Amino acid sequence: MWGALLRRGGRGAGGLRGLASGGPPWSQVVSEAEKIVGYPTSFMSLRCLLSDELSNIAMQVRKLVGTKHPLLDTARGFVYDSRNNLQMRGLVVLLISKAAGPSTEELSFQHNMVSGIYSSQRSLAEITELIHTAFLVHRGIVNIGELKSCDGPLKDMQFGNKMAVLSGDFLLANACTSLAQLQNTKVVELISSAIGDLVQGIYYENSKSPENCLTDDISISTWKEQVFLSHSALLAKSCQAAMELAKHSAEIQDMAFQYGKHMSMSHKLHSDLQPFVKESSSDTMAFSLNSAPAVLHQEFLGREAWIKQIREAQGRGNIMDYKKLQEAIKAGKGVTSAIDLCRCHGNNALAALEIFPPSEARAALANIVYAVTRFP
Amino acid sequence: MCDYYFDGKGKAFRPMIVVLMARACNIHHNNSREVQASQRSVAIIAEMIHTASLVHDDVIDDANSRRGKMTVNQIWGERKAVLAGDFILSAASVALARIGNTTIISVLTQVIEDLVRGEFLQLGSKENENERFAHYLEKTFKKTASLIANSCKAVSILGCPDPKVHEIAYQYGRNVGIAFQLIDDVLDFTSCADRLGKPTAADLKLGLATGPVLFACRQFPEMNAMIMRRFSKPGDVERARKYVLQSDGVQQTTYLAQRYCHEATREISKLRPSPEREALIQLTEMVLLRDK
Repeated sequence: MWGALLRRGGRGAGGLRGLASGGPPWSQVVSEAEKIVGYPTSFMSLRCLLSDELSNIAMQVRKLVGTKHPLLDTARGFVYDSRNNLQMRGLVVLLISKAAGPSTEELSFQHNMVSGIYSSQRSLAEITELIHTAFLVHRGIVNIGELKSCDGPLKDMQFGNKMAVLSGDFLLANACTSLAQLQNTKVVELISSAIGDLVQGIYYENSKSPENCLTDDISISTWKEQVFLSHSALLAKSCQAAMELAKHSAEIQDMAFQYGKHMSMSHKLHSDLQPFVKESSSDTMAFSLNSAPAVLHQEFLGREAWIKQIREAQGRGNIMDYKKLQEAIKAGKGVTSAIDLCRCHGNNALAALEIFPPSEARAALANIVYAVTRFP
Repeated sequence: MCDYYFDGKGKAFRPMIVVLMARACNIHHNNSREVQASQRSVAIIAEMIHTASLVHDDVIDDANSRRGKMTVNQIWGERKAVLAGDFILSAASVALARIGNTTIISVLTQVIEDLVRGEFLQLGSKENENERFAHYLEKTFKKTASLIANSCKAVSILGCPDPKVHEIAYQYGRNVGIAFQLIDDVLDFTSCADRLGKPTAADLKLGLATGPVLFACRQFPEMNAMIMRRFSKPGDVERARKYVLQSDGVQQTTYLAQRYCHEATREISKLRPSPEREALIQLTEMVLLRDK
């Protein structure tokens, strides 16, 4: 049935649907989209995976089994989660490349295209994934000075850090090399600046210290700026760079940027909202007190009342009663306005897609938006 | 935090070589006394890449002091230190892209790849004695000399179209870079912590067998076992240090560094004479005589 939906888009019959009608589930959106770009998207290229360096790392990381270093979880994530979330960015870069097609000025190098995508754009998709993965790894560095005895031996943690720095650097260096091979200084500048954005975004995440202050006193507009840096800038700039590689106009480049930006904002809001919208709430997920619904809740309630609610939920022994806190947030307007915000970004993403002619690829990009704006 | 190491207290050895090389190549090409803005950018980028790699190395080695200060990871924690390194690298890449020359981008990106590969080489060790020395020299090239060689090459490309000049610049940088690191490895045994700005015998403590150790091992084969276990047993570091100072490891390594410097001088002498060329020749001597 959902396949039929995609095909309908493919024939280019109509414009893009609005958001109300929902859409296929995420996993289906991804597998349908993979068919459109020509092959299952395994971006961690073989060249990289089969290298001596990474097999060396894999061997060393085995020594970490049994320790509490976060690199282990990150490595496990590559194996178990590799089909859906991990490679979403590369897939979007390929889809938007295909949706835009060859530019009219560059008919001469159309023979470089496979399934309607230039080889340089495929490299770019891979680079985007390499950078994203490198930072998943670098996010998992632990501060040696803050370790407690329950974290296990210090030596293990130092070793884990060493492996995490090295493997992240290795992925980044590979990304830089592939980037240089694209032979386009504008693309190098765009992607390098996206790396800078990502670092700043992660830096803000890190500067939240849970011990002395539970939530940051941030407004939703600050939240948006920080999430743009940590979750959207890379995809937005990669989408723009994909257009630059095909020599598309500044206007098309801008719309590709807008799609990447707004779609990933929706994606982040959607995942922030999960603990609050799941129907089977028998066991309460812990959630970040800096997630969108909580930040919006604070905005409506005022900071003092919010801190008071947190203190009440904390009770004795400093153990947070997330269930109680969740109920408090659900009772306010934070959840509904986060959903509204998610849909608003979704609509902006769909609007940006209007610049591309109707195609299977465009329909798949729209389906991704439907999937990340759908709530039970 | 990112300003911390850009305080002007480093030796600024790399940017100095790069600017001198830029001038020497410009004069060689058309007697121009100007340094192009793009060449100056390369010097800045070289120092940025170097600093980013120092920050990451200090996290990897869990180091405490550098250039006479506490390391970034000691003050701000490892998480932020790694991010700071990544941030400096991204700023360097943006600056590199703004030069607007894809060849220069490729040349300097090679450095980043070499730095990471060098770090991996340092993880492994070879059993065979001859292989071990080649491994050590390759690691030295990738971790230290590649940056100097390729940034010299980059400014020569910007200053002069002749590929022969590019090769001269690259070879000069490569040889000086290797000599520089060999002397660094000697100083790790002969200098004291105050002068160096970092603790001594640091390499041994990290389990690394550098030039002086490898030479000493030829005289004292009993060191082989210590190298293989990366000086991990209690007392290994002190014993190895004693063996090295008893052997002629320090002299041999210094001699090897001299040979690399002669080679660098031979290369740079192919350029048209200029005060900058002379300075580059003198610089090879300073590399050999430095004590910090």
